Amino acid sequence: MLWKKMIRDIWDNKGSYLACLVLVVIGLLIFTSFSIAGDNLSLAQEDFYRDQNFAHGFAELVSLPYRELERLSGIEGIDRISGRVKQQVRVTRPEGEVGVYLELVSMNLEDPERVNDALLLDGSELRAGELEIWIDDQFFETYQLEQGYRLEIIAGGGLRELTVEGVAMSPEFTYPLRTEGEIYPNPQQYGIAFISRDTMWSMFPELQGTVNNVVFTLEPGADYDEVKNRLEPELEPYGLVNLYPREDQASHLILSEEVAQLQRMSTVIPIMFLSVAGLILYIMLKRLVEQQRGQIGILKAFGYSNREVTLHYIAYALTVGSLGGLLGGLAGIYLANPLTWLLLEFFHVPETYEGFSLYYLLLGLFISLAIFLVAGYQGCKYALKLKPAEAMRPPAPVSGKKTVLERIGLFSAMLTIQGKMAVRNLGRNRSRTTFLFLGMTLSCAVVIVTWSLYDLIDRLVFYQYEEVEVHDARVTLAEPLSQGPVMRELAAHDEVTLVEPLAEIPAKLAHAWREENILVLGIPGDSSLHIIRDAKGKRVLLPERGIILSERLADKLQVSPGSTVEFKSPYLRNGEDPAPVDVYRVIPQYLGMNAYMEINALINLLGQGSFATSYMINVDATAGPDNQDGDIRAGNIALLRDRYRESEQVAAVDGLEERVREARELMETFGAVIYIYVLFGVVMAFAIIYSSSFIILSERNRELASMKVLGMTSREVFSVITFEQWFVSVFAILAGLPLAQIMMIAFARELSTDLYTIPSEMSGQALLMGAFITIASIWIAQSFALRKVRRLDLVEVLKTRE
Amino acid sequence: MELIVARNIKKRYRMGEVTVHALRGVDFTLYDRELVVVLGHSGSGKSTLVNIIGGMDQASEGELYFMGRPLHNAGEAELTGYRRDQVGFIFQFYNLMPNLTAFENVHLSVQIAKDPLEIDLLLKQVGLIDRREHFPSQLSGGEQQRVAIARALAKNPRLLLCDEPTGSLDLPTGQQILKLLRDFCDQYNKAVVIITHNTNISYMADRVIYLKDGLVEDVRKNPKPLPPEKVSW
Repeated sequence: MLWKKMIRDIWDNKGSYLACLVLVVIGLLIFTSFSIAGDNLSLAQEDFYRDQNFAHGFAELVSLPYRELERLSGIEGIDRISGRVKQQVRVTRPEGEVGVYLELVSMNLEDPERVNDALLLDGSELRAGELEIWIDDQFFETYQLEQGYRLEIIAGGGLRELTVEGVAMSPEFTYPLRTEGEIYPNPQQYGIAFISRDTMWSMFPELQGTVNNVVFTLEPGADYDEVKNRLEPELEPYGLVNLYPREDQASHLILSEEVAQLQRMSTVIPIMFLSVAGLILYIMLKRLVEQQRGQIGILKAFGYSNREVTLHYIAYALTVGSLGGLLGGLAGIYLANPLTWLLLEFFHVPETYEGFSLYYLLLGLFISLAIFLVAGYQGCKYALKLKPAEAMRPPAPVSGKKTVLERIGLFSAMLTIQGKMAVRNLGRNRSRTTFLFLGMTLSCAVVIVTWSLYDLIDRLVFYQYEEVEVHDARVTLAEPLSQGPVMRELAAHDEVTLVEPLAEIPAKLAHAWREENILVLGIPGDSSLHIIRDAKGKRVLLPERGIILSERLADKLQVSPGSTVEFKSPYLRNGEDPAPVDVYRVIPQYLGMNAYMEINALINLLGQGSFATSYMINVDATAGPDNQDGDIRAGNIALLRDRYRESEQVAAVDGLEERVREARELMETFGAVIYIYVLFGVVMAFAIIYSSSFIILSERNRELASMKVLGMTSREVFSVITFEQWFVSVFAILAGLPLAQIMMIAFARELSTDLYTIPSEMSGQALLMGAFITIASIWIAQSFALRKVRRLDLVEVLKTRE
Repeated sequence: MELIVARNIKKRYRMGEVTVHALRGVDFTLYDRELVVVLGHSGSGKSTLVNIIGGMDQASEGELYFMGRPLHNAGEAELTGYRRDQVGFIFQFYNLMPNLTAFENVHLSVQIAKDPLEIDLLLKQVGLIDRREHFPSQLSGGEQQRVAIARALAKNPRLLLCDEPTGSLDLPTGQQILKLLRDFCDQYNKAVVIITHNTNISYMADRVIYLKDGLVEDVRKNPKPLPPEKVSW
């Protein structure tokens, strides 16, 4: 019988229970789907790394004789070692809208246990010496290639045709980025090709017998740093550019970050949702028990035990908890595979699906039931204390009191009568007021933070391309060349209006025991194509001496302006001796982590003659060939690219506008995710306001009905409730701002990597959006609740004594 | 002047499986400036009648006019307007706002009235001017009912409807309340309708409407209404 009572009670208040249920479903859905997707991804990563012998250490160098590898493999702590030739080449077929590049990675086909081996997904084995490649799956799909396709590249002084023998992927390129400045893989522009070592040597005769990249795995239990200390002196004579552990490898870093983020999300968000749902239920039950004290008295008088009565009320909570848990859990399991699939779109990892996970379903259900058990018990423990006789008597009348706030004369004078009722009611129900306040604060902060992140990532990309790298295109040389002749040649083209040299020098900066491998950018002191800006966006001129560091780099090295860092680079003329450089300024940098020097100062430091590794260019925007979209500037860049299509000295011509466009397109896909998070905030705010309206309504229907009888309209009556909610919400929104700032700082710290830095600032737009969206959700929830006031049965309510 | 005209008012409720005929065709007229007592036992339909006259409920059948204006087919908004401008209610259980003071409870109705009376004057009349800052929980039952009367009068309605106004009060307190209602009728020239099962109260009325089983059994005029202080039970 009690079950029937419960089901009818829930049905009578279905709106509030539904709001609660939705929160539980969302919480559990995220919990299971994110957990499973995270597991899938992490499992896929683990298997892939193990099967393909993913390296623990990576070394980039100028040139190391292949035979030296034998000796290096004997170094204590190294398990396996592989030497490869890595070379980025231009692709002339298939033709892309923009420059297309291929990273050629050589493999020693005779070594069956290669480190960073490629996994052949489809196709046949490579043959040594033949012009055959395996190509990465995303490039293969993007260009809809087929096996046997003859790809054309520029290598070793001319066009070469390479036959696609297979489709492959490698743990080294789970998230392939062509240059440091990029944050998304772009298979339109960049692919990975695996090729036999002998073919590589025959295509690039000058590299015959050497490698420029060494990867190694560690013996079980070996320490990377110790191995590094042993290996470094061995490699240094061969122009060691960079030696870094797996943790710093770009693809690994991003993939691991994604897995970690999924795991964090799979706990933080569900806990947030379940706690709010639990609180709502707690308050609803508390109200229900107060309302049904007469019924409780009768039940007890009949002889129902305390335990039975308590269980009856806890059952309300457990019903919502288990129903929501089951629905959310099943939906989460159902969505886990599509989510994994979506993530695998971004990462090149062999697909691994766990399928149906009873473990997460049960765990989710357990967590949800545990939270609701506590909420339910807390909510109904008042019923335990009631003695039957006492319970059947009406409760002691509520005493009215003026609140502290009203002692402030001005404040009191401003309040309408409805306002006074609302404010006093807030003071009377402190725990509920607190809940309303905290809930609204949280949902407002969630909206602000997601909106800010969206804004910031947008800024991250566009600040770099629109404020810092203000050139139209960049011409990257295959190897450093003397400045004069190249400058003259580039400037001589009609479409080019401005040329400036750029030196990108790999270097190791050290301060005390801290060191970082980075690219130092040498830029002309008066450059108008690459502007260095300080935190306020004001231009910083490059000094004749000294180095400018990005904030993250300065932080990692623990230096500030005035400190001196040790500069080490394979480009240093005197080789091994590090040169000291003074830190001139520290500036913010969102994309990448670099250091900057005036180009001549850098060249002097290196002890080299005037040279550059690439050139920044502005093209004519008024005259020249159109591209298909009628964009003259893009047309001119294409023209320039065509001029150097077959040049050996020019490795790439990149239009920055294309990059901005691509980034913008990617931002749009990212936007959908943001809207989902914003929706979470909205749902939460809605559920809180909606259920709180109903609680207030049930608690005070007598007062509200009396007001209606006096002749007030439903809206006027409802204003008592809305005033209460707006009053708390205004403070909650205000409190949401600092909370959002705290969350932003935590996010910025969590999400920032060497590839990009997320600033912890919040944009004004995000604050406004946060406030606006919260206000809108309150308003919508109230409109729903207002309908219930309209239906308030005056006669019924007023006839009986409470 | 005819204030309320009721023609063949019927009201049916559904209570689960059975249909209750609360009113079976009631006819009567209420005039300006008279104090009418509607007398009947419990279940006679008197509360239903007062709810319908007050615009809180609508008849299932029949016609109802307020100063010639039909109310039987009025919409929700029109009924709200009618309650707001023309009717004051007094209940057996006062129905005050527990977290508003006496003054504020009265002010609640003043703020929606077109031509309200002065609050402090009313509080003085009901003898509660010294307790204007007290909350309902600090007032006795009689005092609470006096606040409720002040609240109903403050809107300056043409019609005051009182449902068992003395039902929860002792004799002296009840007499005070009745006196206030009589005074209101006489001083402000308004119509007052008192609904009760207490025959003694009917002696103070100008007219008595006897209700039985949902029908008007009789309407009698009192040639000499008793002063309220003489009424006892």
